[in-house]
Amino acid sequence: MRLLRYPGMIVSILLLAVTALAVIAPALLAPYDPYESVGTMRLAPPSWEHLFGTDHLARDVFSRVIYGARLSLSAAGLAVVAGVTLGAVIGLVTGYLRGVVDAVVMRFVDVVIAIPGILLALIVVASLGFGPVAVGLGVGLGTSGAFARVMRAQVIRVRAEEYIEAARTLGGRGPTILVRHVLPNAARPIIAMAALELALAILAVSALSFLGFGAQPPAPEWGALVSAGRDFVATAPWLSILPGLVILAVVLAVNRIARYVGGER
Amino acid sequence: MTSPAQRVDAMGPRRGSVGTVARFLLPKIGQALFVVWASYTVAFLLIHALPGDPILAALAVRGGDATTTDPAVLDELRARYGLDGPLWQQYLGGFFGIFRGDLGVSIATGLPVSETILRVAGPTTALAGFALIVGFLIALAFTVWAYLARPAWVRNVIVQIPPLGIAVPAFLTGLVLITVFSFGLGWFPASGASGFASVVLPGITLALPTAAIFFQVFSAAVFDAGASPFVFTANAKGLSQSAVVFRHVLRNAMLPAITIIGLQVGYLAGGTAVVETVFSRDGIGRLTVDSVLARDINVLMGVVIVVATVYAVVTLVVDALYGVIDPRTRTALAGAKPISAAKEVRT
Repeated sequence: MRLLRYPGMIVSILLLAVTALAVIAPALLAPYDPYESVGTMRLAPPSWEHLFGTDHLARDVFSRVIYGARLSLSAAGLAVVAGVTLGAVIGLVTGYLRGVVDAVVMRFVDVVIAIPGILLALIVVASLGFGPVAVGLGVGLGTSGAFARVMRAQVIRVRAEEYIEAARTLGGRGPTILVRHVLPNAARPIIAMAALELALAILAVSALSFLGFGAQPPAPEWGALVSAGRDFVATAPWLSILPGLVILAVVLAVNRIARYVGGER
Repeated sequence: MTSPAQRVDAMGPRRGSVGTVARFLLPKIGQALFVVWASYTVAFLLIHALPGDPILAALAVRGGDATTTDPAVLDELRARYGLDGPLWQQYLGGFFGIFRGDLGVSIATGLPVSETILRVAGPTTALAGFALIVGFLIALAFTVWAYLARPAWVRNVIVQIPPLGIAVPAFLTGLVLITVFSFGLGWFPASGASGFASVVLPGITLALPTAAIFFQVFSAAVFDAGASPFVFTANAKGLSQSAVVFRHVLRNAMLPAITIIGLQVGYLAGGTAVVETVFSRDGIGRLTVDSVLARDINVLMGVVIVVATVYAVVTLVVDALYGVIDPRTRTALAGAKPISAAKEVRT
């Protein structure tokens, strides 16, 4: 196993395996019910019984973090899927058509890239209403510009290849060639980039959820957990800092693996 | 002995340089205007293409007796907030309003948006300026440290640290700083926007990602410069290491840092939303968050326009100053003539 030479990779893979389990079957990992009080112990500090302590309603915070993985990561996943899809479509069309369409659309893409991602996401949330889906779509829109640029560059590269010319000579129609021949050959760098963007999307989604635009209470979305703990930061700082550290760890792990996928050792 | 002929001579080159500067600047000014227009257009399209009635949404948030479905009242409200009439009219009216400094009226408070933004611009500028300076210094320190570090593995470890600044959620940094320095040591206030002490913690929180971005550019430029002939020469002349680092390596690394200040403005504008919320500070970021919470699209549009304008102006100024800072780019500024002249000399 060559992977074993990179200790960072081993830790990252283990952490993501646990996270994946928390997404698929949170009940296996969580010691308590995330929505029910576990007794009368309010704002209890971390202990072996309650790893992350208990919140102001005496709920087990560790269990809430475990159950929150699904909400937070699916919103981040939605963001990446939305960003890749929108970006790929724009990149495919502009890169294939070139000319005026390309020039006009890409100038707008430049502007979408220049507008801070969180501001774009806030506009989407303000129009669509609050919730993880709106947050995911908003964050995805912010990343779509970068995807569009990379996709367009790939399409322009692939278009010049001989097999595209061959497909056209054989009578293939534009859309067919795009989907059947250009897309598969242009997709590789997009996949590596999508992995990197997932880490950033987790950060952006948790920031928006921290601001109160994600899943509404009592849903245990990660950013919302940090935000809820913030009210008690003077007396029980672990309530917000421990879930925050979980977000950080997952972001670093995803980032490490994404860089490995992208060819960095 | 100033003869008219001499005066014409003296005017000649100056008029020529005004021409070149105009030729250089006009497209850049056009670009800046385009950024503002396109940001406005993108935001407008997003708000009006997505489902939902802005007025109804804002009223629903306000709740209580403000909720109404009476069409006459709704029409009156739409007219008051500039959300009546056909979309193209709203679009054009909003756009031309920008040039009069008129950004509409806040749905939540009824106050002019430009006034609302202007009132909180001060604290945000102080915060962003502090973060920019501290981020710059942190990145600089890490760059010099990494450049001088031996052996190679120590350098490799140091180089890994600054990128973490992007991966750490700003709310986590902020809450840790509050826990340690406000509630633990009592050195700085945990909230508010009065006095220099209140800038320090949020400024540092915002500075970490800023430093990460600066470091990326610095380190690439410094290691490039480190491998360049002029540094080889400087070392060969027997200059002390600090002289080589500060006079030759860093000076060449500063330049690319200036070009990304525009990028940093965008980043800071986004980052203030979280940081100002964590530290309960008045500012543009918190205003943005509050406007979204109140579904107040007029204030949100205003913030987008202001951020786009600041970004465009900073980019314009940086572009214009680039020739002044780096003499090597001046030939490009003067246009095609000197380059062809240089070619002639060479042949």
